[in-house]
Amino acid sequence: MNTPIESRARRRALKTLAATGMALGGLSLGLLTPAQVLAAAPGMPLPDEAVADTLVRLFGDRKPQPAGEHIKLDAPLIAENGSVVPIRIESDLPMAADNYVKHVYIISDKNRRPLNAKFTLTPESGRLSMATNVRMAGTTDVRVIAEMSDGTLWEAKQEVKVTVGGCGG
Amino acid sequence: MATGQVRIRVPDGVKAGDVVTVRVLVTHPMEVLRMEGGKPVEKNYNFIHRMAATYNGKTVFEAETTQAVSQNPFFSFPVKVTEPGKLQIQFEDTEGRSYTGETDIKF
Repeated sequence: MNTPIESRARRRALKTLAATGMALGGLSLGLLTPAQVLAAAPGMPLPDEAVADTLVRLFGDRKPQPAGEHIKLDAPLIAENGSVVPIRIESDLPMAADNYVKHVYIISDKNRRPLNAKFTLTPESGRLSMATNVRMAGTTDVRVIAEMSDGTLWEAKQEVKVTVGGCGG
Repeated sequence: MATGQVRIRVPDGVKAGDVVTVRVLVTHPMEVLRMEGGKPVEKNYNFIHRMAATYNGKTVFEAETTQAVSQNPFFSFPVKVTEPGKLQIQFEDTEGRSYTGETDIKF
């Protein structure tokens, strides 16, 4: 025979269990949009996935077009240490109030979790010119994808040979 | 260097309307896997997952970073300045701590 307090605790536990189940179901059915998935677990690592899945998760069925001269991606040809690979991005894409680069994604194809970082810019940035250091698990392509405010995607790619992989990634 | 130290560098001799490249470095281990009893634990990560820069209270640059950003993260980003002001940069890590640094951009 349960005391009232015990049964209340049990009911609460069951309720939590049900809610968790629903949340998991939502994820596996792909009902959540990419933004929600990114926001759902702040600070938790992204799922292990192939780069194609990452691209679908981030951009859906939108295909990036080669940026050519528009984005200059400066990364080392050979990086001795995969845990610090400097990446520099310069671009002449417009930064006007009605048409500007909204997000910049850095993606390393062969990393266990390909998305390195996502940046958000504003028209006040003036000009796309930025740099950071990323980890790379091994020799692979680095992609930089710029998402314009109207949804157009521009992609620049370069292979970086990594001598010693930066663990995890 | 203590964890969470934020160092910001802006160029001198800025004029109104210039696009300034801000360079910022925060001291943080960006742990990928934490070891417990000699074994890696697939949780309890500790890395910086968010960075936001505001200029005179207006957000100018944001970053969502993952565990695949190097130890002691470094970023450089552009800001178009029209008036002198205060640049404030805040980092948040997955353990809920936040680190802030600020500097003045003078003309």
